[in-house]
Amino acid sequence: MPDAQTIAIDPSAAENPAVGIDQSSGNFSYEMKYEFDAGSGLSERTVDYISSVKKEAPWLREFRMNALKTFDSKPLPTHWATRDLENIDFNKIRYYLASGGKPKRTWDEVPDDIKRTFERLGIPEQERKFLAGVEAQFDSEAAYSNIKDTVAKQGVIFVNSTEALREHPEIFRKWFGKVIPTGDNKFSALNSAVFSGGSFIYVPPGIKVSHPLQAYFRINAENFGQFERTLIIVDEGSEVTYMEGCTAPKFSTSTLHSAVVELVALKGAKIQYITVQNWANNVFNLVTKRGLAHEEAEIKWIDCNIGSRLTMKYPGVVLKGRKARGEVLSIALANDGQHQDTGAKMIHAADETTSNIIAKSISVGQGRSTYRGVVHIPRHLKGCKNNTECDALLINSNSRTDTYPAITVRGDRHAVQHEASVSKVSEEQIFYMKQRGLTEGQAMSLSVNGFVNELARQFPMEYSVELKRLIDLEMEGSVG
Amino acid sequence: MATQATETQAAFGGFSAELFSAHAAGQTAAPSWWLERKRAAYARFASLAMPARTDEAWRFSTIAGLAVDASRKAGPGELGAAMPVPALAARAALTFSGNRLAGRGQPPPDLARQGVTVETLSEAVLRHPDLLREHFMAQPQRLGSGKFAALHEAFVQEGAFIHVPPGVEVSEPIVLVHRAEEGPSFPHTLVIAGDGSKVSVVDLFLAGAVPQRTALAVGANDLYAGHGAKIAYAGVQDWSRETLSFQLNSTVVRRDASVQSLNIHLGGRQARHESLSQLQAPGAFSEMLALTAAEGSQEFDQRTLQIHQAPNTKSDLLYKNALAGRARTIFSGLIVVDQDAQKTDAYQSNRNLMLSDDAEANSLPGLEIQANDVRCTHGATTSRVDPEQEFYLKSRGIDPTRAHELLVFGFFEEVLNRLGDAGIHGALTEMIVAKFKGLRSPHAR
Amino acid sequence: MSILEIKDLHVAIGDKPIVRGVSLTIRTGEVHAVMGPNGAGKSTLAKVIAGHPDYTVTGGDIHLDGHSILEMEPDERARAGLFLAFQYPSEIPGVSIANFLRAALQARMAEGEELDASAYYKRLYEKMDFLKIDRKFTARSVNEGFSGGEKKRCEILQMAMIEPKFGLMDETDSGLDIDALKIVAEGVNRLRGPGLGMLLITHYQRLLNYIVPDFVHVMHEGRIVKSGDKTLALELDAKGYDWVKNELVVA
Repeated sequence: MPDAQTIAIDPSAAENPAVGIDQSSGNFSYEMKYEFDAGSGLSERTVDYISSVKKEAPWLREFRMNALKTFDSKPLPTHWATRDLENIDFNKIRYYLASGGKPKRTWDEVPDDIKRTFERLGIPEQERKFLAGVEAQFDSEAAYSNIKDTVAKQGVIFVNSTEALREHPEIFRKWFGKVIPTGDNKFSALNSAVFSGGSFIYVPPGIKVSHPLQAYFRINAENFGQFERTLIIVDEGSEVTYMEGCTAPKFSTSTLHSAVVELVALKGAKIQYITVQNWANNVFNLVTKRGLAHEEAEIKWIDCNIGSRLTMKYPGVVLKGRKARGEVLSIALANDGQHQDTGAKMIHAADETTSNIIAKSISVGQGRSTYRGVVHIPRHLKGCKNNTECDALLINSNSRTDTYPAITVRGDRHAVQHEASVSKVSEEQIFYMKQRGLTEGQAMSLSVNGFVNELARQFPMEYSVELKRLIDLEMEGSVG
Repeated sequence: MATQATETQAAFGGFSAELFSAHAAGQTAAPSWWLERKRAAYARFASLAMPARTDEAWRFSTIAGLAVDASRKAGPGELGAAMPVPALAARAALTFSGNRLAGRGQPPPDLARQGVTVETLSEAVLRHPDLLREHFMAQPQRLGSGKFAALHEAFVQEGAFIHVPPGVEVSEPIVLVHRAEEGPSFPHTLVIAGDGSKVSVVDLFLAGAVPQRTALAVGANDLYAGHGAKIAYAGVQDWSRETLSFQLNSTVVRRDASVQSLNIHLGGRQARHESLSQLQAPGAFSEMLALTAAEGSQEFDQRTLQIHQAPNTKSDLLYKNALAGRARTIFSGLIVVDQDAQKTDAYQSNRNLMLSDDAEANSLPGLEIQANDVRCTHGATTSRVDPEQEFYLKSRGIDPTRAHELLVFGFFEEVLNRLGDAGIHGALTEMIVAKFKGLRSPHAR
Repeated sequence: MSILEIKDLHVAIGDKPIVRGVSLTIRTGEVHAVMGPNGAGKSTLAKVIAGHPDYTVTGGDIHLDGHSILEMEPDERARAGLFLAFQYPSEIPGVSIANFLRAALQARMAEGEELDASAYYKRLYEKMDFLKIDRKFTARSVNEGFSGGEKKRCEILQMAMIEPKFGLMDETDSGLDIDALKIVAEGVNRLRGPGLGMLLITHYQRLLNYIVPDFVHVMHEGRIVKSGDKTLALELDAKGYDWVKNELVVA
């Protein structure tokens, strides 16, 4: 039961903290009609509270409770991952806060370099306050309902997790928690216990969704992305692209973000999932992402990690059907005080499946980037192929980069290739560019942009332009 | 790190405290400092835990296969036929059989004149205690076999000690032979090349005339190259098919020195090979090469570590495995570049050729880079024999089996071509070909 | 008209002296060739004028239009009008020729001024056509996978687009066959005019048949030991570099 401090829940209040907020004012006197606060710390009470607020069916409440038990029983994976994980204080985190009423900080409190970044990236005014945590609500409702209606005409369902499991269990329950079981790792268990927000999408057979669907449409205060749960099911022959995040630095009160993304591509389907992550430097960003690709289906993860204190993310594809294809394209930029620990997992479980991993990382200042990969091709399969390329660029002498791939191949009917390299931007190259009139900073930017160019081109246009600008910004700081 | 081990853990292979005492008692000529080291080593061995499946350093290894009872004697009918002796063995400077010196070859006349020392470990303990104190098992055990290194140090009885004085160039390769007999083998080779010297060593590990079901070999070798020295080392492991083998190698490369180490793996039922290269001063170069021909249900587990501790150093690793039958290989290679090791060039390449449906190759190439002005690459490829090439040979009239042999052999040539000595190249080729007669693809028609 | 003056220049690499007192004056509109055996210090001279970080000026000065450029960064010198055609041009993976040149030209424009894209491309294609560089090359990464001839032509393309006051050509003919040489030479000749001064560093006389110099200087062991007009190059070709060494010994 919710503890005494919080307001009793009005049974008619659905989970939409936007209600009752005066958006037109630029100041911070919000009407505090509803506040959903589970307090801090994680216990059965917290989970129970969340489930009640969302008016969830009993099976879902039980799912969460079991997940909590699993979370408690699992240790932190510090025997292979960084010990920085031990700095997460699970007791201090608020696991569910719909703080529609509470501003986080004033515009004056926003650090100058964040404001400058917004300026440089050309972020629209209205979005800046939202991103900086100054405003609780981004007026995305209009944009969202527009898209939602358009795709609904094609039979596409695009809703949040609560609504999906309540209104369309016959579609989503089948795959929910199947691609990433609760017990997969400690953080998927955590997410399974306290998840909220995120997008659940279903695309019926034979539909190519022309417009990319964006998480951005769906963000509101409650969905600062803390424990988002996303499930995308694309039926036979259909295609969809989903994008989340943005290049602008995102402020967050919470220091722990633990999302779970499950993708299911049925026969011949195609899913492209694009993420650009630029969380503030105090955030632990631990994400479990996996896709299940059936016969002749294709799942492509395009991942860009620029922010956060620690990101641990290894998008994976289980290639379950014949001729399925999986791809992970990843760019990571680690600056002072950041550790990008990313990679990919490709599990081949059928004949003639192909996987491709291209990961590029840049370590600047004291940043640290780590690549971890798993490629697994078991016995009695034939005709499988994998290609992995991971390259690291070190800019300053204090940067660090590690690469730990693990490749297992059984049988003589496969071709697997893994290549990795580590280098720095060459002085000859910089001198060459300077001789053509470019300053040191411009030369470095060009070089670094050239390094990620192939990959950056795969991002949708607006992201790749912003990405380039962001890299330029990061590089400027690094030139001594 | 030492952890308190249980009775069963410490008693790996039946190497009990009693067994050690008996062994120590038998070392009548050894000085007390040597025995002290052995006692300390045994204590370490007893206190360390056996490798577990969750240890990163033993990932993918078959832990259950690390069981052996060295004290068990072979029963009647378990002894096989005598193994053929390779031609190269006839040139051996020192031949060991079952941990004892069995023969000394006729050394080239120059050797003594130049002051080159080629003697047994027990002789070296008495004559060169300072060198042994400094170099014997002096390098850190970083690849996961601390327990077995301690076992080796505790029970080692005989081995080869080669010391080349500064400026001396030894023209002929020094050949060493270690034959297994009943009971575990603890072969040891220590090569110290003084400043500006040059030496080439070939180490053969051969199944004895009496193969056994419960054979165990725990060997170690250390190569130390002083300022500007050059060492070329080639080791061939051809133990019996029943042997559980551990071979722990380390190389220290000083300023402007260069070491080439080639290891060929043919025998054993489960063989673990660890190779540590430390590039300690500017200009150092370490070339690490390996060839493995795996078949039946053999498992070859190779772990390497290239550490760059000074600027302007270079390392180059090329490990090639050909797998047939139900064989398994594991290659785990880490390149570590320290913060001050600017202008490091480090390369690592693992190539696996799959010759059967049931073979399994695992690759874990790794990089930990802390300096930024470096060039490091690593790569791992796993593939089968190119059908285009197979067809081309067949179209010239070469039968499928022979075509296959040629192509697989060609796979290995890239490594063998790195050897400077044509004579050694030829001799090693013969040894590999003999094993190869068995490697053929089930898909060849 | 602009003047590039090299005044009693001494250059070392580490603590090893390479250039030991070179004085030379180049005006725009003039073509000076510097020849000499390997190790004479010719390439060093070109690289030092451009500001290559490996070299240290241990004495003397370099003036561009009366102002010393020694304290200027390489990019500042470039924007002031100096262009170095490299002997071994760098590869820049992922950066296309089009974008690279655009960045170089944009760098020379005032704050807020933008390059006119269509005018830029028109100019670029025109020059590429002349240098017989396939227009598709605009999308290729700078020098990546280029043959020797392609790299040298790319250098000339850049010079043609950037339009410097002084072009320092560091062994532009090395590694080129006769056909490639002709194309490169034609490209250079087309740029020749009162607004451009050139320093041609070359080991062989052959290039000078196509790009006829106004002045020829011979370098030996870090100094200019003989100067003359184009006939000096022919004499050198006929007699070889030993002739110069011997003349010095006698003198």
